[in-house]
Amino acid sequence: MFAYIMRRLAVAIPTLLLLIVFSFVLMHLAPGGPFTQERALPPQVIANLNAKYGLDEPLWRQIINYIWGIVAHFDFGPSFVYPDRTVNQLIAAGFPVTLTYGTLSFIAAVVVGVALGVVAAIWHNSFLDYLAVGISIGAQVLPNFVMAPILVLVFTLWYRLLPGGGWSFSNPDFWIMPVIALGTSYMASIARITRSSMLEVLGSNHIRTARAKGMPEHRVILRHALKPAMLPVISYLGPVFVSMITGSVVIDVYFSTGGIGKAFVDSALNRDYAVMMGVTILVGALTILFNLVVDILYAWIDPKIRY
Amino acid sequence: MTKLFTTTALLAALAVPAFAVQPAEGDKLAENQTYTYWLLDAIKSLDPAKNTDVEGSDVLRSLFEGLMNEDAKGAMIPGVAESFDESDDKLTYTFHLRDAKWSNGDPVTAGDFVYAWQRVVNPETASEYAWFIELMNIVNASEIVKGEKAPEELGVKAVDDKTLEVTLTTPTPYFVKTLSHATTYPVPQSLIEAEGDNWTQPGKLVGNGAFTLESHNLGVDLTMTKNPEYWDADNVLMETVKAVTVNDNNVALTRYQAGELDRVQIPAGQYPRLKEEFPDQAVSLPYACSYAYIYNVSDKGPEALKDVKVREALSLAINRQIIVENVLQGGQRPATTWTHWAIEGFEQPETELATLSQEEMNEKAKSLLAEAGYGPDNPLNLSLQYNTDENHKKLAIAVQQFWKPFGVNVTLNNVEWKVHTDRLQNQDFDVARYAWCGDYNEASTFLDWFRTDGYNSGKWSNEEYDKLMADSKTAEDTGPLYKRAEEILAEEVPAAFVYHYAKVDMISPKIKGLPTENVLNTWYAKDIYRVAD
Repeated sequence: MFAYIMRRLAVAIPTLLLLIVFSFVLMHLAPGGPFTQERALPPQVIANLNAKYGLDEPLWRQIINYIWGIVAHFDFGPSFVYPDRTVNQLIAAGFPVTLTYGTLSFIAAVVVGVALGVVAAIWHNSFLDYLAVGISIGAQVLPNFVMAPILVLVFTLWYRLLPGGGWSFSNPDFWIMPVIALGTSYMASIARITRSSMLEVLGSNHIRTARAKGMPEHRVILRHALKPAMLPVISYLGPVFVSMITGSVVIDVYFSTGGIGKAFVDSALNRDYAVMMGVTILVGALTILFNLVVDILYAWIDPKIRY
Repeated sequence: MTKLFTTTALLAALAVPAFAVQPAEGDKLAENQTYTYWLLDAIKSLDPAKNTDVEGSDVLRSLFEGLMNEDAKGAMIPGVAESFDESDDKLTYTFHLRDAKWSNGDPVTAGDFVYAWQRVVNPETASEYAWFIELMNIVNASEIVKGEKAPEELGVKAVDDKTLEVTLTTPTPYFVKTLSHATTYPVPQSLIEAEGDNWTQPGKLVGNGAFTLESHNLGVDLTMTKNPEYWDADNVLMETVKAVTVNDNNVALTRYQAGELDRVQIPAGQYPRLKEEFPDQAVSLPYACSYAYIYNVSDKGPEALKDVKVREALSLAINRQIIVENVLQGGQRPATTWTHWAIEGFEQPETELATLSQEEMNEKAKSLLAEAGYGPDNPLNLSLQYNTDENHKKLAIAVQQFWKPFGVNVTLNNVEWKVHTDRLQNQDFDVARYAWCGDYNEASTFLDWFRTDGYNSGKWSNEEYDKLMADSKTAEDTGPLYKRAEEILAEEVPAAFVYHYAKVDMISPKIKGLPTENVLNTWYAKDIYRVAD
């Protein structure tokens, strides 16, 4: 197992390097640059800006400088659009926000989703099943960009219960709506996957055997059915967790959380090369990490899997 | 040296407290002097040399103060400069500074302005607004930006701590009007040298404005509190000013209605409804920006647009009334000129856009196109490029429909903002949507755009126009020159001017002192106050 983890981590390095090079080149291929604006800047000012940010060097050199900055100083460079800040500062400010609401939302989605799925599978084709499926379909078809403004309307304007947006680490009132809006459709997917996987497991031989030897139903479910039924759910959850903690542009836009999801999209639109690279690397590294975590969980859940 | 300006400036200075900060009769002040307003996006920079947008300027105007301020109508009133003298050749200005202090208690000196302005043009700063100091025509500004001269050679000098002397390359009628712009604000040299790019962080930032920076959560909110060191602090009523970012305009409106915000922009199309429901809150104020469709008349543009008849016909065929009344619905005005109608001292010429009815214009458009050889039988194919935005899209579709009956087939070409800008600047378009906002309250801020060496994305060029604009820089009375320039634009039609902007907002009735007649919408938090219920 240890050797396997080491091997996977070793492969991660060239993967990230490829990601950096590809993103870097693609980004520079897009028309316009960070300083392209309606009010065309005098060529000399553009030249001064390019010189300041090292954009006057050939592309291959910029890539090498960039990678060297990360490796040697863990420095992701300055932002071109927020001149008072570095990429490190921007990520340090935005990532904890999305990490907080993303993790909470993930936990809520998993707990509620798995519970709904299990209930629906156990009482298959009953009223409870239809109710659970109904809830999850409802949650799935209500996209977060519709849900977010509705939440603000209801909880902020009508009932005056929650602040309509913004962020504070010390006041959970600010977290509630982002957590609900982000988690709902994931919860629905988790419920559906859990339900179908659980149904399949409940119909399998080892469950019949367990029931045949008179094991109490709750033990059959919790001990013998739930664990194998979680395998497809877990393979779904790995990438979902990464995308949830790296934020959603919709949540950041509607609730003004200052999270990193919006920064990512903005940086691409603004051609803020360094910020975009920084967030890409963050998302890339987290994806690699959590894919590995999923594989390790696999081995833990299913003894048949060996690395 | 003439003393004329000094007296007027002094009079204005005396008038300031009475005008700005005393509550109107019958107003009872609220205990809680807080003003919370809406921002669409994060403030990009709090460094006056690096700020590039309007929202940043709004904040900088509270954190810093320039030589001049603006009053509620946009007229210049003294800021840090108590008065100034102008030389007879209009090339030298001498400013006499008042006893103002930085928020750390240090005195604001002429040297602070010298440092700030040199810093803007210094290539090492790489300021995106270095062009503004060039626009002010300060001696050597352009050469320094190009790296040909040292920043110390800029035509600005501290005669002593309280006297600042500025030398211009050419008489510049609008020079004084540029002095309320954030790019010209003084900055604290020792702090910047000690902290580098981090000097604008809360807790570090030192300013000379009426407010100090309390907190700044990028993309969330920014809070400022009253600065007791400000020279006129006794006359500042507001205690706390908060700017809250809400990226979605509709959510922002909901939060305004929930009482979280005191001012918010009205989302497109909702003004008539809100005006009816909240007549004391929904306002539409003239705002110095103009919207146009630029024709590409360069070598890379389509042959048809080189014919003035085609350009004129296309412009005439746009039904501006429908655009402002049915599409925009926010009190915008049809544009008959490039310069915004509300710009100070600007007189609109009697062009055909202003005098003919839409039927007459359509008739004329038809015959002009026929003369040029186009019509339903021989259609003209053009692409109309706009950047991603619901309103630009609606307008482009409307224009496509206006032009269709005349045998003009328009392909709509929606591109992302950076691509749009890049193509505009490389003349890679047929017709493109464009908007320009004035930097100062004078017609040249618009008209300079169409100079041969102006931004002028369509590369239209006219000798008489260039000469008029050059002459206007030294003219005693610029009015007739600007009027003639607009007449040339009406004859030559380098672009189809569509509408003049309005600022369409919901403003809490409890907030008083926000300017309603300043076409640049320049406002100062020091001038506003909140009244009790």
